[in-house]
Amino acid sequence: MIKCIIVGYGFLGKRLARELAAGKIAGVKLAGIASSKGYIYRADGLAHEDLPERIDRARGFEEAPASEMIRRELADLLVELTPTNIESGEPGLSHIRQALEEGMDVVTANKGPIALAFEELSSLAEERGSLLLYEATVGGGIPLISLQKRCLMADELLSLRGILNGTTNYILSRMHFEEMTFELALREAQMLGIAERDPTLDLEGVDTALKLLILANSLMGLRKKLSEVKIRGITKVTSEAIAAAKESGMTIKLIGVVGENGLSVAPRLIRLNDPLCVHGTLNAVNFNHRILGNLTIIGEGAGESTVSALLNDIYEVVRARSRRL
Amino acid sequence: MRVRLTLALYDRPGVLLRALQEIAVNGGNIISIIHRRDRITSGYVPVSINVEFPDAASLDRAKMGIEGAGIPVIEAETLEKAITTMIIVGCVDVETLLKRVQELGSRVAALSMTGGAASPCLKLVVETPSGKLRPLVDVLEKLAEEWNALLITEG
Ligand SMILES: NC(=O)c1ccc[n+]([C@@H]2O[C@H](COP(=O)([O-])OP(=O)(O)OC[C@H]3O[C@@H](n4cnc5c(N)ncnc54)[C@H](OP(=O)(O)O)[C@@H]3O)[C@@H](O)[C@H]2O)c1
Repeated sequence: MIKCIIVGYGFLGKRLARELAAGKIAGVKLAGIASSKGYIYRADGLAHEDLPERIDRARGFEEAPASEMIRRELADLLVELTPTNIESGEPGLSHIRQALEEGMDVVTANKGPIALAFEELSSLAEERGSLLLYEATVGGGIPLISLQKRCLMADELLSLRGILNGTTNYILSRMHFEEMTFELALREAQMLGIAERDPTLDLEGVDTALKLLILANSLMGLRKKLSEVKIRGITKVTSEAIAAAKESGMTIKLIGVVGENGLSVAPRLIRLNDPLCVHGTLNAVNFNHRILGNLTIIGEGAGESTVSALLNDIYEVVRARSRRL
Repeated sequence: MRVRLTLALYDRPGVLLRALQEIAVNGGNIISIIHRRDRITSGYVPVSINVEFPDAASLDRAKMGIEGAGIPVIEAETLEKAITTMIIVGCVDVETLLKRVQELGSRVAALSMTGGAASPCLKLVVETPSGKLRPLVDVLEKLAEEWNALLITEG
């Protein structure tokens, strides 16, 4: 049995814990969960009814940092789900580093560490013979990374472009179809819980840039840094601009591009019949391969769907470990 | 890239075939040939050939091959023009903008303004010769930055 611990017990952590405690992945047992307050750990596994709403009110609560659970309990697999920090990558970066050093496999949805320290972490994982899987960091549940790594490695990925942020896509879609102003569409998105209370990183294009970096560095072998991405957000996009685009059979979308001119994130004009032109909270990515040509994949880029990517990465760990034995 | 090659052919059989061979071996796809018999001068017939070349390098190789065979290339004119739409949100100095577009060898095919003074929005349809779009976008992006405006291009 693979002993799994989840660090970060918020939206994703709770949903994933429920799946694992219910035994949805054979061969994996959920042994520990941690939040910012502390952790609970049970070597024989946490059952569904053991999962608390709040960790600090649960039986067996340890008021100690998650790093202590990682160090003390020698689990096999860390699922890192703490908040994304774009300055330092912390606390996720330390958690992942520590786990890999202990020889654990790591699965994460946390963009910070993967975008900021991909090279360091992937070589550390390789050195230790551990897996570092991060499908859930980009495009929610859409299998972008495994699609490329499993099915298309023999072809050459020349460029890619994508809509990688559901919040901005929702806002721009409402502006296009309902002729709303930016401010009104944003407020609506916040009311619906699509946009965060502080949506700056989404609106300014930084979230898209982080995801683009992860795709560029992990799928195209680039070694780019966040400072090398040219980033423009959508806050200046007006109803007039959307109307002008519409008149020409186009609309405006926030698009990340990795191509011959480097990495960029900007609002761009896109034809309404372009396969990339998806609406609402949907994400879409278009890969351009040397032989295959264009391939576009569309799906829900955040929320509950992300749990699907996490579960598949965990399943991959199970498969790899059974091969290792 | 679409190119119109104008060659000076001696009015003798076999010469055109020689030129066409050079185009074909360098990947050129011949779209049409026009003999300008109306413009025969001292034994030469100007011939205009519209060719689709995979890139500029293959055009150069074909040109060298043709000239190497003793056939003068009078002109090689790039025909392809990209037509793109751009939107600029914010206050714009239209005169400067149009001047720059022209200086860079492009042409504004259509222009419309909406939003009035409160929320100005300029839409341009620009015709650019092939290879000239990127430099144009770079220049316009700098201008937009100066004006604290947002340039939105196709992509
Ligand atoms: N939600 C999505 O749709 C989605 C999609 C893709 C990727 N992601 C990424 O996945 C990660 C998790 O997202 P989420 O929506 O589940 O976040 P969330 O609801 O904000 O949960 C974050 C959790 O991390 C815990 N935490 C914070 N600092 C910690 C520390 N030092 N040690 C241990 N735990 C700590 C928090 O503890 P407290 O409960 O004590 O505050 C909370 O339980 C983020 O990096 C996010 O960017 C999210």
